[in-house]
Amino acid sequence: MAEQTKKRRVVVTGMGAVTPIGLNVEDFWQGLREARSGVSELGGFPLEDLKILIAAQIKDFDPKEHLRHFKRDKIIMHADRFSWFAAAAADQAVKQAGLEVPFVDPYRTACIVGSGAGGLVTFEKAYRDLFIEKKRATHPLTLLRIIGSSASAHVGIEFGVKGPTFATCSACATATHAIGTARDYIANGLVDVAIAGASESVINYGTMKAWQALHVLSPEGCFPFAKNRNGTVLGEGAGILVLEEYEHAKARGANILAELCGFGMTSDAQDMVNPDIEGPREAMKLALNDAEILPTDVQYLNAHGTATALNDKNETNAIKAVYGDHAYKLAISSTKSMHGHPLGAGGGIEAVACIKALEEGWVPPTAGLNEPDPECDLDYVPNVGRDLKVDFAMSNSFAFGGLNAVLVFGQPPA
Amino acid sequence: MDEVATKIIDILKKHMKEPRDDIDTSTELTALEIESLDLAMIVFDIEDAFGVEIPYNANEDAGDFKTVGSVVDKVKALMADSGSDAASASA
Repeated sequence: MAEQTKKRRVVVTGMGAVTPIGLNVEDFWQGLREARSGVSELGGFPLEDLKILIAAQIKDFDPKEHLRHFKRDKIIMHADRFSWFAAAAADQAVKQAGLEVPFVDPYRTACIVGSGAGGLVTFEKAYRDLFIEKKRATHPLTLLRIIGSSASAHVGIEFGVKGPTFATCSACATATHAIGTARDYIANGLVDVAIAGASESVINYGTMKAWQALHVLSPEGCFPFAKNRNGTVLGEGAGILVLEEYEHAKARGANILAELCGFGMTSDAQDMVNPDIEGPREAMKLALNDAEILPTDVQYLNAHGTATALNDKNETNAIKAVYGDHAYKLAISSTKSMHGHPLGAGGGIEAVACIKALEEGWVPPTAGLNEPDPECDLDYVPNVGRDLKVDFAMSNSFAFGGLNAVLVFGQPPA
Repeated sequence: MDEVATKIIDILKKHMKEPRDDIDTSTELTALEIESLDLAMIVFDIEDAFGVEIPYNANEDAGDFKTVGSVVDKVKALMADSGSDAASASA
């Protein structure tokens, strides 16, 4: 076999976040610093017979404020909320990267913005109009708002991306698959720049009923790794990175935030809801191998940490299987304890948290962790974040269906 | 201008990024800088306003809809066919 050509290095030069605890990276990070909870009383639509009455909703997002300046403002204003979040986060990321738009080499640029479910809020409205209101037709833009790739299309249109543009879809690993795929495209020479991440906005009556029927939502709050954890809390938002080939970034004098040095993905191929140790373990190992580092090189791990009974225990055991004794020395936290579970967008928002941890030498806490589950016996940085020099940070995303994706971020190349 | 024309022009203006005040029945639709998505919404709003169904297919040449006046004529013809009248078109 021919010797494999050396992969190109990939760095992060921009990031954007829209979350229930902050509508940009700075406010989001401040929220994590304060261990602020984004969980609040469910609202914005008739609650009818719902039993779960909390969620981590974004209640202060005014699309005009965030998107009015868009070149194609009319198009984006007519889009679904999940596309709004994606557009706002991408705008932040592209601005931070300082890239000229439209891109100088548009065919060498990718836009991979995923969504676990697409425009479910639009979907429900359309079906209510048809089946309950007996309207003669759905709103004419219903279809375009619903499709799961519309956020990637909107972002690509605004910034003039003409290379690979599509959405990934892998439930709670969606953003991580998007970022990892974009990273591989750059590493393998297909493109030089990528906008990558995911967006989600599905909180409505039907979604709440569907999640309620699966019996995995907490009526009280999101308390990962805690003895009293009793389910996850639905969230929403977007997390998007600008990835760039290292030499490309260096040549234009870009401010490099981090290196995206490892990506691993596996599938349990076992069950839709019960996670396996093997799949997550192998995904983490692949990501470490890809980054060409040892487990002991990692200081911070942003856990998938959904606060479901099964995930947190399984993830703890998978981490032990990868890290051995070092598992007990790792600072591990689930930032979902603050921003809730934004489903497909989770890995994007959590990637931002990992990069900020590298940048600031401070790791976010797991909020609400007063009494740990005895079966979850690692250091989850309970309640208060801490100063910690981080050389490498790992971000785990383990989705329903056993779809696992893991990223490893490192300090900018010296 | 009659009520149908005034209403149609109002709908067109609603969907224009920069609404103009010089639109009359002779104005060509292509002069209005209407974006692709807007056309679907304009058709929808006109159908709602006049209680008609416009046989418009985005795949076909919209020969009937060259000017604002041609849209007005088409809507009036459809209303006559369906027996509705402008007086009931306040929805």
